[in-house]
Amino acid sequence: MPEVKLVNVTKRYGRIIANDHINLTIKDKEYISVIGPSGCGKTTLIKCIAGIIEPDEGEIYIGGRLVNNVPIEDRGIGYVFQNIALFPHMTVWGNITYGPRVRGFPPEETEAIAREMIEMIKVTARVDAYPDELSGGTQQKTAVARALMTRSRLLLLDEPLGALDLKVRAALRYELRRIVKDLGLTALHVTHDQEEAMSISDRVVVMRRGRIIESGRPIELYMRPKKLFTANFVGEANFLVGEVKLITGEGSIIDLGDGMKILSRDRSREMGERVVVAFRPEFASLGRTCENALAGKMTSIIYSGDLVRLHVELPNGDVIVVKRSLRLYEPIPRAGDEVTVSVPPENILVYPYPERGLHRELSLE
Amino acid sequence: MSSRLVVSCTLVTFIIFVMLPTFYLISYVFLRWDEVWYEVFANPIIGDENWRQIIKALIFSFRLSLSTVAFDLIFGVPLAYVLARKRFPGKGLLEDLVTLPLVIPTSGFGFATLVTWTTVAGLGGLLGMRSGLISLNAVAPFINVPFILFIVHVALTFPYVVRTVETKIQSIDMTYEIASRTLGAYSLTTFRNILFPLALPGIFSGAVLAFARSLGETGATMIVSGVSTTASIAIVRWASEFKIPTAAFMGSLLVFIAWVIILPAEIYVSRGRRAHSLSFSVPMNLTRRIIRFERFLSRKLFFIKDIVPLVIVAVAVVIPIAVVLNSVILYWSADPYTGKIEGGVVHQLFGPSNYFSHLLKATLTSIIVALVSTYIATCIAIPISFIIERRWYGRIIRTMLKVPLIIPTSSLGLSVLLLWGSSGLNLVSSGIWMIILTHIVFSVPVVVESIIASYEGSGIQMYEESARTLGATAYNAIEAVSLPLIKGGVFTGFILSFTRSLGETGATFIVMGRDLTIPVLVVNMVEALAIPAALFTSTYLIALSLVMLAIVRVFTQR
Amino acid sequence: MSIVKLVNVTKRFGGITALRGISLSIEDGEYVCILGPTGAGKTTLLRIIAGLVEPDEGEIYIEGRRVNGVPPERRNAVYMFQNFALFPHMTVWENVSFGPMVKEWSSEKIENVTSETLEMVRLGERRDAYPSELSGGMQQRVALARGIAAGARILLLDEPFGALDARLRVNLRTQLRSLVKDQGLTAIHVTHDQEEALMVADRIVILREGRIEQTGLPQDIYNHPKSIFVMSFVGGANFLDGVVSRVTGSGSTIEIRGGLRIRVSDTSNGAGERVVVGVRREDVSLGKSRKRGFNNLVGEVLDVMFVGGSIEYVVRLENDMTMLSRILLGEGSMAFKEGDMVIVSFHPSECHVFQYPERGLLKEIEAI
Ligand SMILES: Nc1ncnc2c1ncn2[C@@H]1O[C@H](COP(=O)(O)OP(=O)(O)O)[C@@H](O)[C@H]1O
Ligand SMILES: Nc1ncnc2c1ncn2[C@@H]1O[C@H](COP(=O)(O)OP(=O)(O)O)[C@@H](O)[C@H]1O
Ligand SMILES: [Mg+2]
Ligand SMILES: [Mg+2]
Repeated sequence: MPEVKLVNVTKRYGRIIANDHINLTIKDKEYISVIGPSGCGKTTLIKCIAGIIEPDEGEIYIGGRLVNNVPIEDRGIGYVFQNIALFPHMTVWGNITYGPRVRGFPPEETEAIAREMIEMIKVTARVDAYPDELSGGTQQKTAVARALMTRSRLLLLDEPLGALDLKVRAALRYELRRIVKDLGLTALHVTHDQEEAMSISDRVVVMRRGRIIESGRPIELYMRPKKLFTANFVGEANFLVGEVKLITGEGSIIDLGDGMKILSRDRSREMGERVVVAFRPEFASLGRTCENALAGKMTSIIYSGDLVRLHVELPNGDVIVVKRSLRLYEPIPRAGDEVTVSVPPENILVYPYPERGLHRELSLE
Repeated sequence: MSSRLVVSCTLVTFIIFVMLPTFYLISYVFLRWDEVWYEVFANPIIGDENWRQIIKALIFSFRLSLSTVAFDLIFGVPLAYVLARKRFPGKGLLEDLVTLPLVIPTSGFGFATLVTWTTVAGLGGLLGMRSGLISLNAVAPFINVPFILFIVHVALTFPYVVRTVETKIQSIDMTYEIASRTLGAYSLTTFRNILFPLALPGIFSGAVLAFARSLGETGATMIVSGVSTTASIAIVRWASEFKIPTAAFMGSLLVFIAWVIILPAEIYVSRGRRAHSLSFSVPMNLTRRIIRFERFLSRKLFFIKDIVPLVIVAVAVVIPIAVVLNSVILYWSADPYTGKIEGGVVHQLFGPSNYFSHLLKATLTSIIVALVSTYIATCIAIPISFIIERRWYGRIIRTMLKVPLIIPTSSLGLSVLLLWGSSGLNLVSSGIWMIILTHIVFSVPVVVESIIASYEGSGIQMYEESARTLGATAYNAIEAVSLPLIKGGVFTGFILSFTRSLGETGATFIVMGRDLTIPVLVVNMVEALAIPAALFTSTYLIALSLVMLAIVRVFTQR
Repeated sequence: MSIVKLVNVTKRFGGITALRGISLSIEDGEYVCILGPTGAGKTTLLRIIAGLVEPDEGEIYIEGRRVNGVPPERRNAVYMFQNFALFPHMTVWENVSFGPMVKEWSSEKIENVTSETLEMVRLGERRDAYPSELSGGMQQRVALARGIAAGARILLLDEPFGALDARLRVNLRTQLRSLVKDQGLTAIHVTHDQEEALMVADRIVILREGRIEQTGLPQDIYNHPKSIFVMSFVGGANFLDGVVSRVTGSGSTIEIRGGLRIRVSDTSNGAGERVVVGVRREDVSLGKSRKRGFNNLVGEVLDVMFVGGSIEYVVRLENDMTMLSRILLGEGSMAFKEGDMVIVSFHPSECHVFQYPERGLLKEIEAI
């Protein structure tokens, strides 16, 4: 039932347009994430849905009902805050049962739901503990339990894991997904952490400067981003500038200068067009394994646990990154060695050269 | 180490100029217990009549103060909520209006209220009556205190409740309220369950401040009290009748009461946040009915909380000021009702009684007093604020500083008189220097509170630590980083203390000797029935303070 | 010679012991990461080196000089706060020239040093901006420039990326490291992000409950964790508890829940001992067939997740335990989906064996 639909939602703060004609539909039981750099309007969007702020224009529908003028308490949502916001003067039990109490549920029912919820969410804390006695992770779980106590089917999460340690964050995101799926909820999760969004959600929406620029399944966004900005924002990528030389049945051949050519399966660009070629470091491999092979010189190697990033300088001075796992029991070249980097044509993405320049288009701030 | 030297010097100065005068009165009573006993309890002629007077005045004061605080809370808390949480056009103006009674001289304000309610020049005349709207001694129902007195006290204490609670509410993360709303609580239910318990320490300390202020108010009370006698007026009267032991006894009772109120409040407020949770169980169907009622109020009648406090501010603060301004114009050349030019402002100022020259002299005295005492107070307050924030005994100093802030200024004046004057150390005689000494005592806490407010919000410790690791010495860091960051607080404190000094009446009366200040002049004019001159002087005084307030506004908005 | 040396440093706050007997020595020009969960005492350690907190016991040496009791301004170590603590009432220029100013250098030198450092962090054009007008990344660069301009040899960085977006952090890590290395500075960088530490550090110090749990080169820590806690905190892993059933010359066999047997190369524990086997998620592969020489367990795919360039599978084994397997995109030969039956394989030499912890396994690995 809680399908959420936003039509042309716009919110301005003076000159800043925090949300610019947002159109978005969240399907029932869908787990959707909104990502984007700080200040792109994510919080504004989720607050508009919750009714915490009123949009200047546009309509918001929850379960088919227009809710623009419905106060927060009647929208039937569960909201989880970045700063957790457990009521400091109440115990865990007091916090969890707050919703039912203020809605006047009978005490027996409140108690039953609370027990069920504590079990379900695995709130391990003592129910008579106060929030400041709990660790960050336990606090946030308690907050999720509190938000779900009123049996709302729509869960809104604004950077729910932002205040926590990285390891706790990684553990809790599985928990969140499990809870949402087990209870059959619809969830909207806002975060600046693209990895969190990709691992947790059914669909990811990318925002920039108040607008939605793209949305799709995580794997699609990662493998085939439609926009250059997305390609950079959802994960590490190499970017090279070139010109379309030839379009054949195989794909397009792009000239990168200094005698380097690269083949992409993408044939949507025109002959002679100035383009940006992108590929992810994990699809690049050392040695000549396919038709796309670039020669270069290793400049540095960065290890991080099971992964290694190899920096390779091309003849034109560009540096590309190759990422591979150490589990492939092959020797790793040393800095200074001449190497060949291959990238399968399927994994080469091509974009028109941005008007504002490559650097500004890719800027993460 | 040199920092120890600075701290010691500051503490010594602080003790001599602020703490000693505050607590001297109590020791005076102990040292001269024989005289006190003789005059208060065992006078050969009147027996314990003075003691009975003391009790009577105390009971009356308590009744007045308690009802004032109750009224303040009922209407002040909603107003504080609105000011802290809502944004609307004219909010800055409303805040200023609420704060106004803090900065305008109380005797002038008392007089304005008097004119508004009891004379034909005020509301009575406006409504077409031939007399004032009510008589001076009309008694308010239920609480059994004179109506005018009650209005004046509400107006003067309202800002303490509103501003304290407003600051407290602002410091509470709004997310708690939003969380409560998303869980299905109506705004009033949210207020009852979340905001109220969290703001309770603020409400409590606001109430304590208001209570103490009402208990100690002298300037306006003198003008509107009619036949009633409050504790603080009694002190002034006895001091001027040279019944020093009785006045001292009463004064130390008030200091003692101030302590008894502040200490538990401080202890309560400084306890952990959990201490405030009020838990009492209410039957389910009652809860449900309460919630339904709250829903009704939240939806339908929310404007009540917006409107009623506005009306109170208008009636108690704005109208009196407007009336006085208006009356000055009416009375400019002659009494508008009798037509006599003796009853006009011009005649009284420049005529035979020549109040204008008194006014000039008083202005000079007032400004010198205000400038010098505020300057010295600021010099003491800056290092004291740093000590409060950084030393383990800071809390204790801060608590002690509340005492001069709220004890009746008349007791304070008496204490200073007895300490420095001829019957004590005999270093200073009554007059401008003693006024300055007195004003320093209550100016220091005013400036300190203001500095601390800006200190605590600004993360100074972090900036200073940064500066230190970048190579700045402790003094470098304070000079280059901390002082610029608290500049606004120092300035605001300076202006607040300046206006407070400008308007102080109670203490000045006792220590002034022959040097009159403007507020005292107003009281004298009223007592001499020179109403038009009093009108003019009040207006002048109010205008002076408004200019000050405007300066603060401009400065703090930048 | 070591530039920073701590000997037996202990610090208590009331009843809490934030640091217990920390001894550590850091070489000139080294980039050290202090890694640990919240409350481990990382910030306290940095503040003690900076001189903002005095230790209760132990000695601190900077450049060979004992500095206990020496005020922060005479320690030559800049402490950078997580939110950068740029002076809000000063412009970028004034912030960066603060150190030189208070050290009363000649105005010409101040001018030169300030503009040089500003150029170095590519902020020459924003010299007249106030901190509130800058983005998070720029503020961080100003804070770095301010520290470098003050002539500090030692940078103490408290979670320098904590206030920035996740994606931005990845880019800035390597930039920060090269800046530090180019200037020949020594950096002590505190973080709870293990990937960050693995990528930037010359050496990692793992802190837990006020104690040093392990110190070493990043790859050593990753490949040879000394404890379950370290293995779980750095990189994460699957942990299976069981009992050693047989020890031979080439390895031992461990019996886990449900009677399943795992072969490991490790032989340090005798038969009958209770142990925990740790296997990295990256070392677990999924397939349709058994691999020779590997441990092969049968399981069902419960969930498939997509994590930053890798695919992570959650597999339930026959004995109801779950195992995670992580495969880098572009390297996995086969894709599986929820409900598929798979063979989970991992090599005996990739199994780390630990004694069963006294406080229980959960206590060592739980994050929350
Ligand atoms: N109350 C406000 N007043 C003025 N500007 C605001 C306010 N709230 C947000 N903004 C601006 O709107 C933009 C979007 O903010 P926000 O939705 O919080 O972004 P995000 O959550 O993506 O970081 C930002 O530029 C921010 O400065
Ligand atoms: N000023 C202080 N007063 C009391 N306890 C403190 C103080 N600073 C730190 N602690 C305590 O010391 C421990 C370590 O804190 P900290 O060094 O901040 O850890 P980390 O930076 O690793 O999260 C924590 O338990 C913390 O509560
Ligand atoms: Mg946000
Ligand atoms: Mg820390």
